[in-house]
Amino acid sequence: MNRRYALEVRQQMAWYWQALIIAGSLILGLLVSGTILVVAGVPAGELLNEFVILTLFDAQSLQSVLFQASPLIMVGLAGCLAFRAKFWNLGLEGQMIFGAIGATAITMWDIGSPAIRLPLMMAAAMACGLLWAIAPVLLRLKLQVNEIVSTLMLNYIAINFLLHLMYGAWKDPKDAFPYSPKYESFELLPEFGDGLSMSIPIAIVIALVVLWFINISRAGLYLRFVDKSPQVARSVGVPVAKTILLAVLFSGALAGLAGLMVAAGQEGRLTHSFYVGYGFSGILIAFLARNNPIAATCAALLIATLFVAGRSLQVFYQIPFAMVQLIQAVLVICVASSDFFIRHRIRRVQGGE
Amino acid sequence: MSKQNAIQLNGVSKTFDGFKALSDADFTARWGEVHALLGENGAGKSSLMNIVAGLYGPEGGSLFINDNPVKLKGPKEAAKLGIGMVHQHFKLVTPFTVAENILLNLGHIQSSGLYRERLRRVSEDIRAMAKRIGFEIDPDARIDQLSIAEQQRVEILKVLLAGARILILDEPTAVLTEEEAERLLTTVQGFAREGAAVILVTHKMNDVLRYADQVTIMRSGQTVKTVKPDSVSVDELVRLTVGESGTGTSDQPAERTPGEAYLQVKGLTSTGSHRALNGLDLTLNKGEIYGIAGVGGNGQSELANALMGIPEAVEGQMELIGEGDLSEFDAARRRSIGVAAIPADRYGAALAGPLSIADNFALGDIHSGRYGPFWYLKTRAIEADAAEAVKQFDVQGVRSLKQKAALLSGGNAQKLVISREFNHPPKLVLAHSPSRGLDVKATEAVRDRLRAARDDGAAVLLISEDLDEVMAMADRIGVMSAGRIVAEFSQPADRQAIGQAMVNHV
Repeated sequence: MNRRYALEVRQQMAWYWQALIIAGSLILGLLVSGTILVVAGVPAGELLNEFVILTLFDAQSLQSVLFQASPLIMVGLAGCLAFRAKFWNLGLEGQMIFGAIGATAITMWDIGSPAIRLPLMMAAAMACGLLWAIAPVLLRLKLQVNEIVSTLMLNYIAINFLLHLMYGAWKDPKDAFPYSPKYESFELLPEFGDGLSMSIPIAIVIALVVLWFINISRAGLYLRFVDKSPQVARSVGVPVAKTILLAVLFSGALAGLAGLMVAAGQEGRLTHSFYVGYGFSGILIAFLARNNPIAATCAALLIATLFVAGRSLQVFYQIPFAMVQLIQAVLVICVASSDFFIRHRIRRVQGGE
Repeated sequence: MSKQNAIQLNGVSKTFDGFKALSDADFTARWGEVHALLGENGAGKSSLMNIVAGLYGPEGGSLFINDNPVKLKGPKEAAKLGIGMVHQHFKLVTPFTVAENILLNLGHIQSSGLYRERLRRVSEDIRAMAKRIGFEIDPDARIDQLSIAEQQRVEILKVLLAGARILILDEPTAVLTEEEAERLLTTVQGFAREGAAVILVTHKMNDVLRYADQVTIMRSGQTVKTVKPDSVSVDELVRLTVGESGTGTSDQPAERTPGEAYLQVKGLTSTGSHRALNGLDLTLNKGEIYGIAGVGGNGQSELANALMGIPEAVEGQMELIGEGDLSEFDAARRRSIGVAAIPADRYGAALAGPLSIADNFALGDIHSGRYGPFWYLKTRAIEADAAEAVKQFDVQGVRSLKQKAALLSGGNAQKLVISREFNHPPKLVLAHSPSRGLDVKATEAVRDRLRAARDDGAAVLLISEDLDEVMAMADRIGVMSAGRIVAEFSQPADRQAIGQAMVNHV
């Protein structure tokens, strides 16, 4: 008598079981990551200390986690919106760059009085991010041009345009580095409380707006149809093209805002490489969160923790920063695999032969 | 040997996420017989046969093949034991040829030799087998170039070439015209005469009476009785399938005076190279059911799509008198006028399977503002309306309005579509094969809705490949052939004459 296991396709699974499975897979991913770090030379006993105690229970580190998290939340939400419309927006970085360029343009040309400067910068950042997403979405809707290619290629155009500005017209005349002049104090995202950046409450508000958009507005219902059954959506009268357009432009605007958060919240100026890694992280966060805005906010916090802990590992143990990306990848693989258990059920059968 | 049991199932149970699909079902089929498995939608026929085919593992009970106890670990093992199942939804790779599909299935048997050589051998086998059983199939034809009936023959060849001696056909006649069904069932009867066991899963009484040697009746997951079809009356069979109450009768519609013209279609023609629609004209009056009969594939689907606003490249007029051209209306406008659409492909054009019943229902009234402005969806109002409609239209199997629509059985899914489309009294009803795949009770419920709409003054267009349905429902009948209406009949119509018109113009 041999025991065997049979696989069956599940029809439906309660959301709390799904959440439990995903949480389990994340824990497994963290365990695997921990093992890799131990092999790389971090003492096993120090892991918990480095990742949890020193990052989350140390006021200053927690600040930097939150600080790091807000642009990640923005790109994560941007990913959620576009992916829900079945639009593979790989151009988050390009949209982010243009968002930051738009905001910096306001500072360079001194538009508006100091009192309204920051709101203007935010509006410009969102508008420019949105504009950078228009071409690919229209090409997709009108001519069926694959958005994976168009958004990705537009990133390169954005990156080179940024370099063109940083080494040319917008270079800080005071020194030789490729960045813009420092923003004025009223052009920076203000701090409140004990050194917490204003970008954190902004990120939370935006997350709630996206949650409303997806769950409470009529667009959310349309998005569900576009996401799950595009064919049916068209037949039963969902305005498919308009829904996709709206979601993608919203996505671009949020990516633009992420650009502003880095420029006006962290760097205090436009630099030539501020965007690096955010596009990938945005996709990854949206994926980890299954395009759910609340989960995306949590995933962004997790990734931010990794970033911050990764930096201190770099300093104390000479662990290369690439290790952080490796951990991200391990987490994604674990969560992706967990999907299998959500879709299937494993049952033990008694073997006959 | 010949009278040994081919299949025996004892006390089999199966649960899907808490729903008992099968409870303590028994079933026995002998070699050399056509054994029908009769029951309403959701009675558990397909589940039972999926267990025999190794697709599902049973939770209790035992399975014997050729009187030997077996535990199937999967469909491959079932195939090795000579069990072949032709599913209701074909499992063919559409861009591949017939021979490639069959070779794909035979992978484990014909594993030696170069690919081209193996393909050539399979093509020969296909030709030989097709000739033996009287099918005409070109092994090099691509699946997407074949009609539904031809694809079904490919499926049958596929399981026969894999060595099946126990042939299970799941609702094989649901997609076929009368002649095609007759031909198919005569062929499978031939297999049984040669000693194979054929199991015919069906809900069509006619198939059972004419072709089955034995019939097992299933109701709500249980096998009720096994009898010889000629030993009981039709009434008795109906009573066993539907239970004590609720046998439907469909009387021929009386002659009635039609209202004024409402929908005028003129010169409707497909713009593509294939003229599926070729200058179709028809006039639909208020207060009548206009039935479109015809052999499948004569432009019915294209006509339905064009009228229902499902993307379809056509030119010509579809004027709704007093409103304008139907093709220029968006969904909101169609809803506000009162155009109800019941497409043939339920999960391809009417319901989003992965979404909830409430979400699917909401689409019906979303444009009118009843469920709130654009920025706010009144979920409570949707759920209240959906609950009311589910009750009123007798949609069963709804455990929660948040349940996926895909979990509904065919009949209940169709009732959900109708509950949405008829939530406001419709003025124009477009129905394409509305009772396809539905059991007696559900069919009757659907037909009653269409008749009630007609009696309330709506113009009803019924496109159906089932002539019985058209005959039972329509006040006027148009016969469609090669993309146009070639003949029109008023009730009482001569069935013979309609049949003639259907085939003569091909």
